[in-house]
Amino acid sequence: MPDRPVSYEELTPGYKFPPATYELSASFVSKYSKAVDGADAGFVPPLAITACAIAAMAKSVPLPSGTIAIHASQELEFLGLVPVGAVIECHIGVAQKIARGKMSMLVLELEIFDKGRGRIQSGRAAIALPA
Amino acid sequence: MHEEIQEGKTLGPLVKHITQEKINLYAEASGDFNPIHVDESFAARTPLGGTIAHGMLSLAYVSEMMTSAFGRGWLSGGRLRAKFRESARPGDTLAISGRVNCIGKEDDVSYANCGFECCNQKDEVIVTGEATVKLLDDSR
Repeated sequence: MPDRPVSYEELTPGYKFPPATYELSASFVSKYSKAVDGADAGFVPPLAITACAIAAMAKSVPLPSGTIAIHASQELEFLGLVPVGAVIECHIGVAQKIARGKMSMLVLELEIFDKGRGRIQSGRAAIALPA
Repeated sequence: MHEEIQEGKTLGPLVKHITQEKINLYAEASGDFNPIHVDESFAARTPLGGTIAHGMLSLAYVSEMMTSAFGRGWLSGGRLRAKFRESARPGDTLAISGRVNCIGKEDDVSYANCGFECCNQKDEVIVTGEATVKLLDDSR
């Protein structure tokens, strides 16, 4: 992996972004629950955890300036309840990069770990953007 | 709730109204400030013609419906595959619904396979997908 940030052109299947760490604090969970009209259930909603991974992905993927990227599909597996206050680590890698006509599709693999407890979520996200 | 989960059972509908305020709240909570979601003047100049909601906001509503139907079986053992087919926009009213297509067993554990969709007020499909849920004692 190069020391400098990679460009979109340099992303190839197998590339791993540096892991991103998030604390799922009570204030984060409360803010997320308010945003999705959800009730406070005493644990972290699984999609709140995914939201952290997607945000990490959005910050990591070096899209050309002005590019509009569209979230095309999402696969997820929830592997365990996560308590409020947990610290998670999001691992994101490039699974596929496909150019088809005027569009390009970037497929990313997500693996999320609750530090000290193991894997809590895994999935794939496909992002569509102009080629 | 265990015995209530049967093939053909309908899930939802859950009805949610999308506003720019909700989109902004979601951006703040998730940290995803892509201008296509939050910058109305930028979004107006794109082919989309205006801001759109985060796909994950619509998917959060799907998860809320699944949690309501299956409880911990969904939260700790749920799987989904979703396609974002159209964008949800401020002013849209979304109806999220689903159906238990079949119930199966694998390694002595029962699973429900469900289909779901999220449509706007014009009946345009925003999200479609499939979900598999482990049926725990507290979810059937």
